Amino acid sequence: MQKSLILNYESLVILIPAKNEVNTVGKVVSAIKARFAISVVVIDDASTDKTASVARAAGAIVLPLPFSLGAWGAMQTGLRYALKRGFKTAITMDADGQHKADSIPILLAPIALGQCDVVIGAYPQRGSFLRRTAWFFFRQLSGVGLEDLTSGLRAYNHYAIKLLASPAATLLDYQDMGVLILLHKAGLQIIEKPILMYPRIDGHSRIFSSWWAVSQYMLHTGILCLAQFQHIKHSKKCHIK
Amino acid sequence: MSYQVTSAILGLILASTILWLIRRDYLYSRHAFWWLLIAMMVMLLGIFPKIIDWLAAHLGVNYPPTLLFILGIGMILIKVISIDLHQSSLEKKVRRLAQRLAMLEGEK
Repeated sequence: MQKSLILNYESLVILIPAKNEVNTVGKVVSAIKARFAISVVVIDDASTDKTASVARAAGAIVLPLPFSLGAWGAMQTGLRYALKRGFKTAITMDADGQHKADSIPILLAPIALGQCDVVIGAYPQRGSFLRRTAWFFFRQLSGVGLEDLTSGLRAYNHYAIKLLASPAATLLDYQDMGVLILLHKAGLQIIEKPILMYPRIDGHSRIFSSWWAVSQYMLHTGILCLAQFQHIKHSKKCHIK
Repeated sequence: MSYQVTSAILGLILASTILWLIRRDYLYSRHAFWWLLIAMMVMLLGIFPKIIDWLAAHLGVNYPPTLLFILGIGMILIKVISIDLHQSSLEKKVRRLAQRLAMLEGEK
Protein backbone atom coordinates (compact mmCIF):
# COMPACT_ATOMS: atom_id res chain seq x y z
CA MET A 1 0.00 0.00 0.00
CA GLN A 2 2.60 2.45 1.12
CA LYS A 3 4.86 1.46 -1.79
CA SER A 4 2.21 1.98 -4.43
CA LEU A 5 1.62 5.49 -3.16
CA ILE A 6 5.15 6.63 -3.58
CA LEU A 7 5.05 5.75 -7.14
CA ASN A 8 5.16 8.87 -9.13
CA TYR A 9 8.77 9.89 -8.98
CA GLU A 10 8.81 11.60 -12.35
CA SER A 11 6.62 14.41 -11.11
CA LEU A 12 8.54 14.78 -7.85
CA VAL A 13 11.53 17.03 -7.39
CA ILE A 14 13.80 17.51 -4.39
CA LEU A 15 14.90 21.10 -3.85
CA ILE A 16 18.00 21.83 -1.81
CA PRO A 17 19.07 25.45 -1.33
CA ALA A 18 22.75 25.57 -0.45
CA LYS A 19 25.15 28.29 0.50
CA ASN A 20 28.73 27.31 1.24
CA GLU A 21 27.81 23.73 2.13
CA VAL A 22 30.64 22.05 0.25
CA ASN A 23 31.23 19.49 3.02
CA THR A 24 27.68 18.19 3.20
CA VAL A 25 25.81 18.91 -0.01
CA GLY A 26 27.45 16.06 -1.95
CA LYS A 27 26.53 13.50 0.71
CA VAL A 28 22.97 14.80 0.92
CA VAL A 29 22.47 14.58 -2.84
CA SER A 30 24.05 11.15 -3.26
CA ALA A 31 22.11 9.77 -0.30
CA ILE A 32 18.87 10.72 -2.05
CA LYS A 33 20.08 9.55 -5.45
CA ALA A 34 21.10 6.19 -3.98
CA ARG A 35 17.65 5.57 -2.48
CA PHE A 36 15.34 7.03 -5.14
CA ALA A 37 15.42 7.73 -8.86
CA ILE A 38 14.26 11.32 -8.61
CA SER A 39 15.40 14.71 -9.81
CA VAL A 40 17.42 16.59 -7.25
CA VAL A 41 17.87 20.32 -7.74
CA VAL A 42 20.46 22.21 -5.73
CA ILE A 43 20.03 25.98 -5.72
CA ASP A 44 23.44 27.50 -5.22
CA ASP A 45 22.89 30.74 -3.31
CA ALA A 46 26.06 32.38 -4.60
CA SER A 47 28.41 30.15 -2.66
CA THR A 48 32.04 31.14 -2.54
CA ASP A 49 33.23 27.54 -2.24
CA LYS A 50 32.79 24.55 -4.54
CA THR A 51 29.20 23.78 -3.49
CA ALA A 52 27.92 23.97 -7.08
CA SER A 53 30.48 21.62 -8.62
CA VAL A 54 30.25 19.11 -5.76
CA ALA A 55 26.46 19.03 -6.10
CA ARG A 56 26.72 18.62 -9.86
CA ALA A 57 29.20 15.79 -9.45
CA ALA A 58 26.78 14.05 -7.08
CA GLY A 59 24.15 14.10 -9.82
CA ALA A 60 22.08 17.15 -8.97
CA ILE A 61 20.82 19.81 -11.34
CA VAL A 62 22.42 23.02 -10.10
CA LEU A 63 20.75 26.43 -10.38
CA PRO A 64 23.48 29.00 -9.72
CA LEU A 65 22.20 32.33 -8.44
CA PRO A 66 24.28 35.31 -9.60
CA PHE A 67 24.19 36.80 -6.11
CA SER A 68 22.87 35.67 -2.75
CA LEU A 69 19.10 35.93 -2.35
CA GLY A 70 18.95 34.37 1.09
CA ALA A 71 17.37 31.09 2.13
CA TRP A 72 13.90 31.85 0.85
CA GLY A 73 15.05 33.53 -2.37
CA ALA A 74 16.99 30.39 -3.21
CA MET A 75 14.06 28.17 -2.27
CA GLN A 76 11.71 30.15 -4.49
CA THR A 77 14.13 29.76 -7.38
CA GLY A 78 13.72 26.01 -6.98
CA LEU A 79 9.93 26.28 -6.75
CA ARG A 80 9.80 28.40 -9.89
CA TYR A 81 11.98 25.84 -11.64
CA ALA A 82 9.65 23.05 -10.47
CA LEU A 83 6.63 24.95 -11.79
CA LYS A 84 8.29 25.68 -15.12
CA ARG A 85 9.43 22.11 -15.56
CA GLY A 86 6.02 20.72 -14.71
CA PHE A 87 6.93 18.94 -11.48
CA LYS A 88 3.74 18.37 -9.52
CA THR A 89 5.28 17.91 -6.09
CA ALA A 90 8.36 19.46 -4.52
CA ILE A 91 10.14 18.36 -1.37
CA THR A 92 12.57 20.84 0.13
CA MET A 93 15.50 19.80 2.28
CA ASP A 94 18.42 21.50 3.96
CA ALA A 95 21.87 21.06 2.49
CA ASP A 96 23.55 20.67 5.86
CA GLY A 97 22.67 17.01 6.32
CA GLN A 98 19.99 17.48 8.96
CA HIS A 99 17.34 15.71 6.98
CA LYS A 100 17.33 12.04 6.06
CA ALA A 101 16.49 10.72 2.61
CA ASP A 102 14.19 8.26 4.40
CA SER A 103 11.80 11.07 5.30
CA ILE A 104 10.91 11.62 1.64
CA PRO A 105 8.23 8.89 1.48
CA ILE A 106 6.84 9.98 4.85
CA LEU A 107 6.40 13.53 3.60
CA LEU A 108 5.10 12.43 0.25
CA ALA A 109 2.37 10.10 1.51
CA PRO A 110 -0.18 12.70 2.72
CA ILE A 111 0.20 14.68 -0.52
CA ALA A 112 -0.09 11.60 -2.70
CA LEU A 113 -3.28 10.75 -0.80
CA GLY A 114 -4.58 14.27 -1.32
CA GLN A 115 -4.90 14.85 2.43
CA CYS A 116 -3.25 18.25 2.35
CA ASP A 117 -1.32 20.76 0.27
CA VAL A 118 1.77 21.15 2.41
CA VAL A 119 3.53 18.73 4.74
CA ILE A 120 6.10 19.97 7.21
CA GLY A 121 8.64 17.60 8.64
CA ALA A 122 8.49 18.77 12.21
CA TYR A 123 11.00 18.27 14.95
CA PRO A 124 9.84 20.80 17.53
CA GLN A 125 12.01 19.32 20.28
CA ARG A 126 15.05 20.79 18.61
CA GLY A 127 16.27 24.27 19.07
CA SER A 128 17.50 26.42 21.86
CA PHE A 129 15.39 28.14 24.46
CA LEU A 130 15.68 31.28 22.36
CA ARG A 131 14.33 29.61 19.27
CA ARG A 132 11.42 28.01 21.09
CA THR A 133 10.54 31.31 22.72
CA ALA A 134 10.55 33.00 19.34
CA TRP A 135 8.28 30.31 17.90
CA PHE A 136 5.84 30.57 20.75
CA PHE A 137 5.72 34.32 20.28
CA PHE A 138 5.06 34.09 16.55
CA ARG A 139 2.50 31.32 16.95
CA GLN A 140 0.50 33.57 19.23
CA LEU A 141 0.93 36.58 17.01
CA SER A 142 0.05 34.96 13.71
CA GLY A 143 -2.49 32.34 14.68
CA VAL A 144 -0.70 29.74 12.59
CA GLY A 145 -1.02 26.70 14.82
CA LEU A 146 2.05 24.76 13.85
CA GLU A 147 4.76 23.38 16.10
CA ASP A 148 7.85 23.67 13.95
CA LEU A 149 7.79 26.98 12.14
CA THR A 150 11.23 27.00 10.60
CA SER A 151 11.69 23.44 9.43
CA GLY A 152 13.28 23.32 5.99
CA LEU A 153 11.95 19.84 5.38
CA ARG A 154 8.67 20.32 3.59
CA ALA A 155 6.58 18.89 0.79
CA TYR A 156 4.51 21.16 -1.44
CA ASN A 157 1.85 20.06 -3.90
CA HIS A 158 1.10 21.77 -7.19
CA TYR A 159 -1.16 24.46 -5.70
CA ALA A 160 1.36 25.35 -3.05
CA ILE A 161 4.19 25.48 -5.59
CA LYS A 162 2.15 27.76 -7.82
CA LEU A 163 1.32 30.11 -4.97
CA LEU A 164 4.85 30.25 -3.58
CA ALA A 165 6.46 30.72 -6.98
CA SER A 166 4.35 33.83 -7.57
CA PRO A 167 5.69 37.40 -7.23
CA ALA A 168 3.58 37.81 -4.09
CA ALA A 169 6.06 35.59 -2.26
CA THR A 170 9.20 37.13 -3.71
CA LEU A 171 9.80 39.80 -1.10
CA LEU A 172 9.77 37.36 1.79
CA ASP A 173 13.13 36.82 3.42
CA TYR A 174 12.61 33.64 5.39
CA GLN A 175 10.69 30.51 4.60
CA ASP A 176 8.86 30.31 7.92
CA MET A 177 6.15 32.74 9.04
CA GLY A 178 5.73 34.73 5.85
CA VAL A 179 5.37 31.61 3.75
CA LEU A 180 3.11 29.87 6.25
CA ILE A 181 0.87 32.93 6.50
CA LEU A 182 0.63 33.12 2.73
CA LEU A 183 -0.32 29.46 2.46
CA HIS A 184 -2.76 29.82 5.31
CA LYS A 185 -4.43 32.87 3.77
CA ALA A 186 -4.85 31.05 0.48
CA GLY A 187 -6.73 28.37 2.39
CA LEU A 188 -4.20 25.64 1.77
CA GLN A 189 -4.08 22.77 4.21
CA ILE A 190 -0.84 22.41 6.12
CA ILE A 191 -0.03 19.40 8.26
CA GLU A 192 2.98 18.45 10.30
CA LYS A 193 4.60 15.06 10.44
CA PRO A 194 6.99 14.27 13.23
CA ILE A 195 10.36 13.47 11.74
CA LEU A 196 13.67 12.49 13.23
CA MET A 197 16.47 14.84 12.33
CA TYR A 198 20.20 14.54 12.53
CA PRO A 199 22.11 17.23 14.32
CA ARG A 200 23.86 19.46 11.82
CA ILE A 201 27.02 17.80 10.54
CA ASP A 202 28.62 21.09 9.78
CA GLY A 203 27.87 24.76 10.00
CA HIS A 204 25.04 26.42 11.85
CA SER A 205 21.65 28.02 11.41
CA ARG A 206 21.63 31.02 9.16
CA ILE A 207 18.89 32.70 11.14
CA PHE A 208 20.04 31.89 14.65
CA SER A 209 23.69 32.69 14.07
CA SER A 210 24.18 35.85 16.08
CA TRP A 211 22.23 38.18 18.32
CA TRP A 212 22.15 40.76 15.58
CA ALA A 213 20.76 38.28 13.07
CA VAL A 214 18.20 37.05 15.61
CA SER A 215 16.95 40.56 16.36
CA GLN A 216 16.70 41.32 12.66
CA TYR A 217 14.76 38.13 12.16
CA MET A 218 12.46 38.78 15.12
CA LEU A 219 11.70 42.31 13.99
CA HIS A 220 11.13 41.34 10.38
CA THR A 221 8.88 38.42 11.24
CA GLY A 222 7.05 40.37 13.92
CA ILE A 223 6.14 43.09 11.44
CA LEU A 224 5.07 40.47 8.94
CA CYS A 225 2.76 38.85 11.48
CA LEU A 226 1.28 42.21 12.45
CA ALA A 227 0.68 43.16 8.83
CA GLN A 228 -1.25 39.94 8.30
CA PHE A 229 -2.89 39.85 11.70
CA GLN A 230 -6.49 40.66 10.88
CA HIS A 231 -6.73 38.22 8.01
CA ILE A 232 -6.05 35.16 10.05
CA LYS A 233 -8.41 33.13 12.08
CA HIS A 234 -7.06 30.78 14.64
CA SER A 235 -6.30 27.53 12.91
CA LYS A 236 -6.66 24.15 14.44
CA LYS A 237 -3.67 21.95 14.86
CA CYS A 238 -3.82 19.15 12.40
CA HIS A 239 -1.44 16.36 13.24
CA ILE A 240 -1.32 13.09 11.45
CA LYS A 241 0.62 10.75 13.62
CA MET B 1 20.68 93.44 1.70
CA SER B 2 17.11 92.63 2.49
CA TYR B 3 15.96 89.09 3.18
CA GLN B 4 13.99 89.04 -0.08
CA VAL B 5 17.19 89.29 -2.07
CA THR B 6 18.78 86.44 -0.09
CA SER B 7 15.77 84.19 -0.47
CA ALA B 8 15.42 85.03 -4.15
CA ILE B 9 19.09 84.18 -4.78
CA LEU B 10 18.80 80.88 -2.85
CA GLY B 11 15.57 80.01 -4.63
CA LEU B 12 16.99 80.75 -8.07
CA ILE B 13 20.19 78.77 -7.41
CA LEU B 14 18.21 75.74 -6.22
CA ALA B 15 15.73 75.95 -9.08
CA SER B 16 18.39 76.36 -11.73
CA THR B 17 20.36 73.41 -10.34
CA ILE B 18 17.28 71.22 -10.59
CA LEU B 19 16.48 72.50 -14.08
CA TRP B 20 20.08 71.93 -15.15
CA LEU B 21 19.91 68.32 -13.88
CA ILE B 22 16.67 67.74 -15.78
CA ARG B 23 18.07 69.35 -18.93
CA ARG B 24 21.18 67.18 -18.82
CA ASP B 25 19.00 64.07 -18.51
CA TYR B 26 20.50 63.08 -15.17
CA LEU B 27 17.00 62.63 -13.81
CA TYR B 28 14.70 59.98 -15.16
CA SER B 29 11.71 61.79 -16.70
CA ARG B 30 9.24 60.30 -14.20
CA HIS B 31 11.16 61.85 -11.31
CA ALA B 32 11.79 65.01 -13.28
CA PHE B 33 8.17 66.10 -13.06
CA TRP B 34 8.25 66.15 -9.27
CA TRP B 35 11.48 68.10 -9.27
CA LEU B 36 10.19 70.54 -11.85
CA LEU B 37 7.31 71.25 -9.50
CA ILE B 38 9.72 71.74 -6.58
CA ALA B 39 11.92 74.03 -8.65
CA MET B 40 8.93 76.23 -9.50
CA MET B 41 7.81 76.41 -5.89
CA VAL B 42 11.29 77.20 -4.62
CA MET B 43 11.64 79.93 -7.22
CA LEU B 44 8.24 81.40 -6.46
CA LEU B 45 8.72 81.33 -2.69
CA GLY B 46 12.26 82.66 -3.01
CA ILE B 47 11.22 85.68 -5.01
CA PHE B 48 7.95 86.28 -3.19
CA PRO B 49 8.46 85.09 0.40
CA LYS B 50 5.33 87.01 1.37
CA ILE B 51 3.25 84.20 -0.14
CA ILE B 52 3.94 82.12 2.96
CA ASP B 53 2.82 84.96 5.27
CA TRP B 54 -0.35 85.40 3.24
CA LEU B 55 -1.05 81.65 3.20
CA ALA B 56 -0.35 81.33 6.94
CA ALA B 57 -2.75 84.15 7.76
CA HIS B 58 -5.50 82.47 5.73
CA LEU B 59 -4.85 79.06 7.30
CA GLY B 60 -4.82 80.47 10.81
CA VAL B 61 -1.12 79.78 11.43
CA ASN B 62 0.31 82.36 13.84
CA TYR B 63 3.94 81.89 12.97
CA PRO B 64 4.35 81.63 9.17
CA PRO B 65 7.77 79.84 9.12
CA THR B 66 6.18 76.79 10.80
CA LEU B 67 3.86 76.48 7.82
CA LEU B 68 6.88 76.51 5.52
CA PHE B 69 8.59 73.80 7.56
CA ILE B 70 5.48 71.65 7.80
CA LEU B 71 4.92 71.86 4.06
CA GLY B 72 8.61 71.17 3.36
CA ILE B 73 8.81 68.18 5.72
CA GLY B 74 5.52 66.85 4.41
CA MET B 75 6.78 66.88 0.85
CA ILE B 76 10.04 65.24 1.87
CA LEU B 77 8.10 62.47 3.63
CA ILE B 78 5.95 61.87 0.57
CA LYS B 79 9.04 61.72 -1.60
CA VAL B 80 10.87 59.31 0.72
CA ILE B 81 7.90 56.96 0.94
CA SER B 82 7.56 56.96 -2.81
CA ILE B 83 11.26 56.13 -3.10
CA ASP B 84 10.83 53.19 -0.71
CA LEU B 85 7.81 51.95 -2.63
CA HIS B 86 9.72 52.17 -5.85
CA GLN B 87 12.75 50.52 -4.30
CA SER B 88 10.60 47.61 -3.05
CA SER B 89 9.28 46.97 -6.51
CA LEU B 90 12.80 47.15 -7.93
CA GLU B 91 13.98 44.68 -5.28
CA LYS B 92 11.24 42.29 -6.31
CA LYS B 93 12.17 42.61 -9.97
CA VAL B 94 15.87 42.13 -9.31
CA ARG B 95 15.21 39.01 -7.24
CA ARG B 96 12.97 37.48 -9.88
CA LEU B 97 15.49 38.34 -12.55
CA ALA B 98 18.27 36.63 -10.60
CA GLN B 99 16.04 33.59 -10.12
CA ARG B 100 15.24 33.47 -13.81
CA LEU B 101 18.92 33.69 -14.64
CA ALA B 102 19.70 30.78 -12.29
CA MET B 103 16.88 28.73 -13.86
CA LEU B 104 18.22 29.38 -17.35
CA GLU B 105 21.78 28.54 -16.37
CA GLY B 106 20.61 25.33 -14.74
CA GLU B 107 19.10 24.19 -18.01
CA LYS B 108 22.34 24.37 -19.95
